[in-house]
Amino acid sequence: MMPIPRCGHPNLGLGVGLRTVHFPYLLRHQPEVDWFEVISENFIDSHGRPRYVLDQLAERYPIVMHGVSLSIGSTDPLNLDYLRKLKSLADAVQAKWVSDHVCWTGVASRNSHDLLPLPYHEQSLQHVVERIRIVQDVLQRQLVLENPSSYVTFTASTMSEAEFVARMAEEADCGLLLDVNNIYVSSINHDFDAFEYLDAIPAHRVVQFHLAGHTNLGTHLIDTHDNHVTDPVWELYRKAHLLTGGASTLLEWDAKIPPFPIVHAEVMKARNYMSSALSSFASQPANDQPQANSTVLTSISSTVPHPATAIFAEVE
Amino acid sequence: MANRVPQPLDVIQRWMQSVIVHPAGVAAGIKSASKTGEMEQGADRLEELICRSRAQTSIERLEVYSNAYKARLIDVLIGDYPAFVHALGEEAFVGLASGYLEVHPPVSYTLGELGRSFADYLIQTRPPNESEDGSPDWADFLIDLARLERCYSEVFDGPGIEELPPLDSDRFRHLPPEQWITSRLVAAPCLRLAVYRFPVHEYASAVRHQQDPESPIAEVTRLAIHRREYVVRRTTIDAIQFDLLTRLVEGASIGQALEQLIEGNSQAVVTADELSAWFRDWAAAGFFIGLAT
Ligand SMILES: [Fe+2]
Repeated sequence: MMPIPRCGHPNLGLGVGLRTVHFPYLLRHQPEVDWFEVISENFIDSHGRPRYVLDQLAERYPIVMHGVSLSIGSTDPLNLDYLRKLKSLADAVQAKWVSDHVCWTGVASRNSHDLLPLPYHEQSLQHVVERIRIVQDVLQRQLVLENPSSYVTFTASTMSEAEFVARMAEEADCGLLLDVNNIYVSSINHDFDAFEYLDAIPAHRVVQFHLAGHTNLGTHLIDTHDNHVTDPVWELYRKAHLLTGGASTLLEWDAKIPPFPIVHAEVMKARNYMSSALSSFASQPANDQPQANSTVLTSISSTVPHPATAIFAEVE
Repeated sequence: MANRVPQPLDVIQRWMQSVIVHPAGVAAGIKSASKTGEMEQGADRLEELICRSRAQTSIERLEVYSNAYKARLIDVLIGDYPAFVHALGEEAFVGLASGYLEVHPPVSYTLGELGRSFADYLIQTRPPNESEDGSPDWADFLIDLARLERCYSEVFDGPGIEELPPLDSDRFRHLPPEQWITSRLVAAPCLRLAVYRFPVHEYASAVRHQQDPESPIAEVTRLAIHRREYVVRRTTIDAIQFDLLTRLVEGASIGQALEQLIEGNSQAVVTADELSAWFRDWAAAGFFIGLAT
């Protein structure tokens, strides 16, 4: 039997990550946007403007919930209270799906608010698979998990990240959110072939793509979400689109956020990479060194990987 | 890639977390972990755990996480406390916030909780007030500013009244006096009453409007902080209004609240007209959402 593409989820088209700076624009102009992704943690407890705006948007646009605190790989117990809140918001806004990351965010009751990488071996794989099953039971829906950008790898790993992610998705029967920028960032940082990574992923499990900008620090890349998508990432996207037959695509822009039309225009560029033919670039391995393709920054003061999207008060 | 039995996942996670959140940096974190026996590998044998990359050593790679941890959380605190940061200056704030995060590391799934204990931390670590007459000093100003900005955050995203029908202020006028006396007002869930030693609300608003305000002179300031149309509002109130509102919010009937007010403050001369004007204003502002007769 042919596997069902996108785990049976619809291709929502080209969406944008909802950020508070765009609230006034979105409410006023109701722009033509295919769909929005929201950071779950900013809304599950909100009784104020964030939740009000989300409810307004949910009436008009499809909504996907994307979390950063599930900590699926942590050895701490799962937070059931948090999971119930996720479910209740997902039901209320009729979220198309709920996603988070293949990572851990903290241990010993702490939350680093970072997406920390796991060593990839049998023990961690079984741990994650078991927890995905529990989460799917509580949420009563299939979970979708994203590959994170990472800056370290562990000597204890016995498999590549792509193999881990692929086996995890098959064994836990979950969906995948493929962040092509993260694949690129990690491929440079850890010196692997990003195109081979794509080949190792079960294409029919890819429910969604992420696109974002990154920062080149010379010795490594950082997933800063603060700029346009770079050419090598677009080329990866082209191949990912080809392998999967297309899936909902979302642009993340979390620092130095420009006006909404610029962010939206960036994701609309994805249409240029949906042609069936691979460009000549794509047949080359993408393991060019950090210095090769963009300006090198030497300061780290403004380069935070996966910048936090927090909610701040509006006061008269 | 290794073939030997890997360290248990929880051991690796505890170790890595302790290293990247260590206030003195990754090298100090590794040292302290090898001392406590958490992980035998010290910095010299780090590559047995964390692979180096072509361009970075294992320590440098862990430092990406360590730098990000601090920078990300401090960015959030800067967003939570803009007026405080303006008053203290960003550089000094970074130092202060780092100390705060050591004592109150993030434990919640939401960053909304990160700054919860900031004012308490300031109260516990403040330098002594050295003014001769004990009048409020710079530290008092900063503490009150932090209290105010935390209050703003809580009111902004907490339960509000936007979805509720407004309380009909005419009900006050048409209520017979005997019923009015025994009635209780139901306070809006977003109403907060607070006393500050400085007019911190003016300072905070000026900063939020991109101005560069002078630090204010001490002056007792009573505020009713609330929310309308999803935006936080603040109203200055006088001592008698503050007293009265506090008792009403605590659940006293209107009659009890007025009685206590007169008992506690013989100077409190409030005419019936003034009182009914207050109640009308408070109802119109959304301080109260119901009248239980
Ligand atoms: Fe992403």
